[in-house]
Amino acid sequence: MIQIVNLSKIFRTEMVETTALHNVSLEVNNGEFVAVMGPSGCGKSTLLNILGLLDSSDSGEYYFDGTEVSRFSEKQRTNLRKGNIGFIFQSFNLIDDLNIYENVELPLLALGESQSVRKTKVEEILEKMRIGHRRNHFPRQLSGGQQQRVAIARALITRPKLILADEPTGNLDSINGEQVMELLEEMNATGTTIIMVTHSLNHAERAHRIVNLFDGHLVMERSDKVFEPVI
Amino acid sequence: MILQSVYMLLRRIFKDKLLYFIIFANLIIGYATFIVISQFISGEFMWDRNNTKYDRIYRLQLFMDQKENTIKHTWSTTAALSRKDLADLPEIEKIALIHDVGDNNKSGVFLSVDKRNQFLTRFGYYADQSVFDIFTFKFIEGDPRQALTQPYSIVLSKELANKLFPGGNALGKQVYGENKVVFNVTGVYDDLPERSTWRPVYLLPMLSFSALTGYNNYETNYWGYSFYTYVLLKPNATASPVDNKIFNTLKDFRKEHHPYLRPMSKLNLNPFFDPSLYIALGLLTFLSVLILVLSSINFINLQTASATNRFREIGIKKTLGFNKKRLWLQFMFESMITTVVAALIAIFAAQLALPLLNNMLGWGTFPNILENPTLIFIIIAVTLITGFLSGMHPAFVISSYSPVAALKQKFITEKSNGVSLKKVLVTIQFSISVFMLIVAFIIYRQTKFMLTKDMGFNNQTILFSNIITNKKGPFEPLRQSLLENREIKDVCFSDYIPFILPGGEDLNWEGSKPDEKVFVRYSNISYDFVPTYELKMLYGRNFSKEFPADRNKCLINETAVKVFGWQEPIGKRIKASGKNYEVIGVIKNYTVQSVFNPEEPHLYRLLPDSVISDGIYSVNFAKGKEKKAMEIVKDEFQKYFPDDAFEFTNIQTLIQNDTAAKAFKGLQKITSLIAILTILISSIGIFGLILFMTQRKMKEVGIRKVLGFSYGNLYLTLSSWFIRLIFVSLVMAWPAAYYVYKVLPGANKYGLQIWEFLLASVIILIVAVATISYQIIRALKVRPVEILKDE
Repeated sequence: MIQIVNLSKIFRTEMVETTALHNVSLEVNNGEFVAVMGPSGCGKSTLLNILGLLDSSDSGEYYFDGTEVSRFSEKQRTNLRKGNIGFIFQSFNLIDDLNIYENVELPLLALGESQSVRKTKVEEILEKMRIGHRRNHFPRQLSGGQQQRVAIARALITRPKLILADEPTGNLDSINGEQVMELLEEMNATGTTIIMVTHSLNHAERAHRIVNLFDGHLVMERSDKVFEPVI
Repeated sequence: MILQSVYMLLRRIFKDKLLYFIIFANLIIGYATFIVISQFISGEFMWDRNNTKYDRIYRLQLFMDQKENTIKHTWSTTAALSRKDLADLPEIEKIALIHDVGDNNKSGVFLSVDKRNQFLTRFGYYADQSVFDIFTFKFIEGDPRQALTQPYSIVLSKELANKLFPGGNALGKQVYGENKVVFNVTGVYDDLPERSTWRPVYLLPMLSFSALTGYNNYETNYWGYSFYTYVLLKPNATASPVDNKIFNTLKDFRKEHHPYLRPMSKLNLNPFFDPSLYIALGLLTFLSVLILVLSSINFINLQTASATNRFREIGIKKTLGFNKKRLWLQFMFESMITTVVAALIAIFAAQLALPLLNNMLGWGTFPNILENPTLIFIIIAVTLITGFLSGMHPAFVISSYSPVAALKQKFITEKSNGVSLKKVLVTIQFSISVFMLIVAFIIYRQTKFMLTKDMGFNNQTILFSNIITNKKGPFEPLRQSLLENREIKDVCFSDYIPFILPGGEDLNWEGSKPDEKVFVRYSNISYDFVPTYELKMLYGRNFSKEFPADRNKCLINETAVKVFGWQEPIGKRIKASGKNYEVIGVIKNYTVQSVFNPEEPHLYRLLPDSVISDGIYSVNFAKGKEKKAMEIVKDEFQKYFPDDAFEFTNIQTLIQNDTAAKAFKGLQKITSLIAILTILISSIGIFGLILFMTQRKMKEVGIRKVLGFSYGNLYLTLSSWFIRLIFVSLVMAWPAAYYVYKVLPGANKYGLQIWEFLLASVIILIVAVATISYQIIRALKVRPVEILKDE
């Protein structure tokens, strides 16, 4: 599903150059659950941003479903992102001025779905995430765990092929964190590819494979579980 | 999507009430000011528009080509011009000759129904029947086709008819004029709009003019300049062929005088080829547009500032695949909807404010804004344009943030040196604020100067009344009995007084070339006119009973001496009304007609001690004793003139009613208003800017606080660039304001002073510093942890 070859990313300011990613190559198969680990500043988030087409690399190749996308324009990247990739963030990133229903509805608006389709899909996912009774509340009225469930619902609503999760449990206590992990596993079980950045080895070990980054280099891949492609 | 934007906007409004209150207040003030001033200006162009034949109506005027004259144009013309020279011109469809009843300048005429309840009524006119063909009169009673065809008929305005016949049905009833003449009411017309250059309260037929005034053969008289003529041109005819034919028609009488036609559209704002009023209106328009610009700049700043609170929304929307165009549209839509809502509220607010302003400024009533399609169109256009322009910058900036940066709430850092848009906006804003405040000061001081300047005569403690009488006899006994009272200081009579403008003649003077003439106004005054009005004698002496020959002597004013070019005025001769007068004294100039006009040459002749048929009696009373003096005066005059109606008033009412003074007062009040609004709007603007800036500098504040910088030091860091820009804007504002002072119309300009510039600048500086301090102190109070946590 995803293949990156010799990917590099350098951040430049007037005086300093920082290499965030250095010749990173990685392949992620359809339906795989990959955890990315590493110390702060090792390039995890940069990698995730590039994989999510939020940012572009300086060199190297990136194949998304077989298509080379690293030189896509912003417009092309926006179009590809829309509906295909779901994002889950550590700080949830819900819009404060929208209620739960409207937050979850956003990706469908971006896709230009009709009102009735949006309604059915949002209701369905809210029930599934057990937050339907909160649909008219605003993010600040919800607990952290509930907010992250809303964020997951938002990520899932378009049934994306790929979910990118950036420390999804980082701001949650262990019980809520566990719930989120269960949800991710459920998603993965239905065939969604997941790439998750985390600091928790415990959570990382629930993935099929752990990728370690250090100073922008891919240092080690570890696979405890045997992954068999669905198709 | 649209609905969602509206919801989000409403939610944000409720969440951030202060910010949105400021955003809306700013826009509403800007739009409402613009609407009100536009209404006022369009009102000035609405004059006489009620006339259905507006485009074909012209007034006959004279161009007096004499270089010594300060006043070159007049619409007081002769009847002969109207009756003879205009009569057979093929371009003209109708001509109407008009004349004051009595002297409308001077006083009214007493009208009554029962000879007892007399109403002093001004603005009555003798007029030809054709006025009804030229002007649009709406008749309530009677037939406009023959209302002025019978002698001794009278046509009343509704206002006067209601006064005389409170029960209605005036038609066919009788009205007494000065208890001497009887008129038959042949019609009642709806009151003419306030914005009419000619607004008669009642009309008498011109064919009774001779009988009532004793002025015979006026129709062939080329010398009596007291008539007005209006003409209606034929459809498709133009004025220029008429002007060509009549321009030199007076060559045998007064070759310097050239008649011409002035179209009705020019009568209010520019009757005499003087652009002053256009300049004043232009200045007003300019100021209102500047207020609009100020509030738009404020809106841009506030929008951009509030958008920095929305980075997460932008980041997420971008992440989820909303494209740049869509975000741009969203922000643009929000900006537009804000301006449109503000404009709607502003229309409503302006609608409410206009009657108040009418009371305050005496602007006259305005039609409903919604009935003024041009204005509505302008408002819509202005709203959309300002909405678009104000929305463009924030929408553009916001929609182009990269999603990663927006999510991390990283601001696009500005270049620390170099000219940023923000700096340009701040400078423009300060410049406009300072400029407007200085201009407001200038206009305020100028008008105050005009209104309070020493008029050169006692304009505070004088009572006067015009009395039209058949009585003959000496005036001195009445004067003596009045002077027995402590409250009365002096009494005189004359045919004219200050602010009631006398007529005049083109005169020769000793030392002039034979064909050199200049227009000189003259009044006839009693012995005590000069002391009663407390006029100052520059040279020579006042008239005196000790010199019986004074009947052949005259006084002149300072301007006359100057115009005649006399080194030694006393003893010089002037020929007036065919008689030679010797100058015995020169009166120091005083304001004769209006605070706005330059003084003209003036000649004073002596009235012997005998009451005249149409005189003005003036009483100088002791300060603070007006009420008592009024009783005494009423009493004594009643005894002396038992058969005649009169009504004494304070001369201040004349001065207050002077059109120029009124215009200046209106201008003074509206500029004060504009000044207050400027201060208000600039403080809103500064508030927005500071909000914007302190938000951006929060991290710096946090770090500096952690490092232990003092508040004073932080304050300087945050405010110094701002204060610097204020000084840059002064450099732009001062010369612009000085230019306005230079083009300001008027003969009597006050001396400009540096403190006005300084004061205006200091006020804006104080407003800026006060607002900036409030915001900075608020920013400084935030605990550094909170700021840094967010980063």
